[in-house]
Formats: sequence, structure tokens, C-alpha cells
Amino acid sequence: MADVMNVGVNLEAFSQAINAIQALRSSVTRVFDSLKDGMKNKETLEGREKVFITEFQDNLQSVNRDLNELERLSTLVGRPSESHPLHNSGLLSLDPVQDKTPLYSQLLQAYKWSNKLQYHAGLASSLLNQQSLKRSANQMGTSAKRRPKVQPSTLALPTQYVDDVISRIGRMFPDMSIELFRPNGTSAVLLVTLGKVLKAIVVMRSLFIDRTIVRGYHENIYSEDGKVTDHATTALLHYQLPQMPDVVVRSFMTWLRSYIKLFQTPCQRCGKYLQEGLPPTWRDFRTLEAFHDTCRQ
Amino acid sequence: MVCVCVCVCVCVSVCQVPVAEGKSVQQTVDMLHKKLEQLGAVKQGNFWVDCETYQATGNATGQPTKLLYVMHNSETPLSSMALFEGGPGLTADANFDVLMVKLKSHFQNAKGHKVESRGTRYRYCDFLVKIGTVAMSSSARGISVEVEYCACVIPGDCWNLMKEFMQSFLGSSTPELPAVFTSKAEGLYAPVDCMDTMSQYLELFGKVRKQQVLAGSGVR
Repeated sequence: MADVMNVGVNLEAFSQAINAIQALRSSVTRVFDSLKDGMKNKETLEGREKVFITEFQDNLQSVNRDLNELERLSTLVGRPSESHPLHNSGLLSLDPVQDKTPLYSQLLQAYKWSNKLQYHAGLASSLLNQQSLKRSANQMGTSAKRRPKVQPSTLALPTQYVDDVISRIGRMFPDMSIELFRPNGTSAVLLVTLGKVLKAIVVMRSLFIDRTIVRGYHENIYSEDGKVTDHATTALLHYQLPQMPDVVVRSFMTWLRSYIKLFQTPCQRCGKYLQEGLPPTWRDFRTLEAFHDTCRQ
Repeated sequence: MVCVCVCVCVCVSVCQVPVAEGKSVQQTVDMLHKKLEQLGAVKQGNFWVDCETYQATGNATGQPTKLLYVMHNSETPLSSMALFEGGPGLTADANFDVLMVKLKSHFQNAKGHKVESRGTRYRYCDFLVKIGTVAMSSSARGISVEVEYCACVIPGDCWNLMKEFMQSFLGSSTPELPAVFTSKAEGLYAPVDCMDTMSQYLELFGKVRKQQVLAGSGVR
């Protein structure tokens, strides 16, 4: 790969430059040492002065030489590639142990692959959408006018747009409050409080839901995972629509909201409230009915 | 003997379980333990709740003496709760007992009226069940069963769920929704606090005390 070649050339010049720096440092130290030691013991004062001056000149010349050498090498080293598409992870390329931990090259390959995959998936979905498949529930209008504008890259949406979408969804449901945080960079983290029943943390990647954790209203966030967290993860995998991520988020929130009566509704199949000590924690994805986890099959 | 169950909810519900016919308190308690273990509950140590009575001295003549109850709960070992029957209550730390000693001139400890409930704690999924023997002056007076549902804070939401659970091991002795929740100003859908638990226990202990007055010497 071209990147690896570049790195190789730089490394050689780097090592030479480092050696040159060490040489420069030692020659500068020698200069100051000779100054500190002062004049050596010789018979006459002139003799001593002469020896001292010649030594001093020698030292300064060696410093000059080393400095020139260092400047020459620094031009060879060149500048690190300015395009750091991976930002901080691009610094992994500086890891010298390339054989044992080829992290940087693997990372580049992984990103290239996923970008290609996304591009192909976009092409495929636009082709497939042209054929009207009557089976799918989320049927877009066949007329070209009604087809919504396909965003070129739904992975890199502006943060303001994401904020707007989330606040609109939050206003749709009065008993559910959604707070948005951005603790690390541009990924949004939502804290969804559903009445006094539960709290959910939803981690997003632009408008796609990445991961959720669901906890009781007064529970510690770091306690063990419960059943509802598993169900929520299943839900976020179920609601998928790459071209219209805001619809996905809305459906997910609607599904989550059905949990407001977690403790009040009996299971639709067995009619009881408790099954092995648990209330009906499963919500059907289409009808939002409550079932026990063991009753849903 | 009447068993009083106090349902305390986090939603806790404290209720009364009557002693089985022809059996002693200990045997009834053992029966309940067995039923819980059959359900799959796991024993998790012991618990105790006690209540001391203080009489307010220096009241104006003609007014009934106000009784102050100071209660402790092993769930909150560092706290003391003080309440008047049907009236306001406060939660303080354990030094409150020392304070009461200092207030001897205003509040007299009615030593013979101390009631306590001791027993085992069971855990089943999100439920905590505490079955205790209520004793006064070291003679057993009844059985208290406390059921706590840790997942929910609103009693109105989960009462049916708790009732179903209690029916599975208490059978016909399942109580109704405790009065402390229905009498709240905000209604059933206000979140609970630990005072509700203590009020329920107080009610229970009150019944136990009255029982002694009626039945004479409480016996095993």
C-alpha cells in the first residue's frame, strides 16, 4: 500500500535524524563542558589561552556541522500526511512494531470496506425501491414526486438536524422526556425518561441508534442488564430503514413508550401479571401488545 | 392468634396472616417459608423492625396524651423514624434515640409497650419478602409479612401485580390495598417513601397491642 511505503521512507530518515539530534546534543554539551572546565594547566598563560581557544573553536564547529546535518535530514523526513481521515486513530501509524500489531493498516482496510459496502448498499436500495414490492409495509409512493430526497450520506448528518429531529420526537410524546447530550464528539447520547417507570440511555451515531441500556427509574445505571435491555436491543435491530432514519427513531420511541404500563398490563396470552416473577416485558413490534418473554412464541 | 401482614411497598405492602388452625406461630411461619422456597425464593438473611412508645407529658388537662412512636428498620439501620399515629412523621439518624433520652422530661418511655418483629428475608426476582414474628414483651403475638416490589415506585401501577404474587403463597390471606396509599392527598399514583412502610407497620403493631388488651395474656 502506498501508505506503508511512505511510512517506510520516513522511518529511515527519522532514525537518522534522531541520531543527528543526539550528536548535536553531545557536541553542545561538550561546548559547555569545556567552558565550565576552563583553561587547562599549561606552562605559560598564552599557551593555556591558545589551547582553550582552539578547543572552543573545534567544539563550535562540530556543533555547526551537526546542525547542518540535522537540517538536511529534516528536509528528507518530510511532513506527515496532512489528510488524517481517521483523526486520532491515524496516530496509530506511528506505532513502530508494524509486524506484531498491524493495527493501522487493518483499520484502514476496515474503513475502506465499510465505505464501499455503504455505497453499494445505497445503490442497491435505490434500484430495489424502483421495483414496487407489495409485500413490504413501509411502502414508498411509486410516483417520483413523492419519493423523498435520498440523502447522499445519512451517516454524516449535521448535528443541528439531529437535534431538531430528536426534539420533534420528544414533543410528540408528552409522558416521555428526551434529553440530548454529546459527551464525546458528535455522537448523541439520549436519556429517555418514561414517566416514573424506566430510564433508557440511547447511544446514537448520527441518526442511527447504536446501543441502548434500560434501567428502572431509581436503579443504578451500572447494575446488571435486565430483560428490557435485551428487548430494546432487539427492537433497535428490528426497526431498520437506512434511507429514512428519522422514521426509525420515531418507531423505536413509540415502541419504547409502550412500556409506560409495564406493571399494569397483564400478558395477552396467559392473562397473568407475573411469570417466574417477571411482568410482561416483551412488546410486539407491530401491535405493541404486552407478552411475557416466555409467552411470546 | 392474628397474624398481621404489613405490606410495605417500595411499593411495600405489609399484611397480616392469620395463624393456621391448631398450629403455633412458629409452625405457621415455617409453612410460609416452605411455600416461598417452593416458589423459588432465596433466603437472604434476617430483618427486624421495632417500635417504642413515648408518652408526651405536660399536656394541657383534658387533652388525650399524645403518643410518639419511634421505629427502627433493619433495611435502614442508620435511621430512626418518629411518628404520631395518623400524624406527621420524621426520619432522623440513629442518634435520635439518644435525643429522646435527653428529652425524658417531655416524653416518657412506655417500656412495656415495645413491639418488634423479627424474621427472615427472602428474595424472589424483584420481590423481597420478609416474614417476621411479632413479639411484645418477648411473647409472640402474631406474624407479619412484608412484600416489597423493588422495580416500581408507584403503588397504583403495580398493586395488581403484587396481589397476584402474594396470592401465590399467601392464598386467601392476601390483603387489600393498604389504607396509607388510598388516603394520600395525591392519590395512588404518587411515589412512595419509607414513611409509608413505617405507617403500615405502626398500624400492624397497634392492632397487636389492642389484641393483647382484649385477649389477656398472649400465648404461643
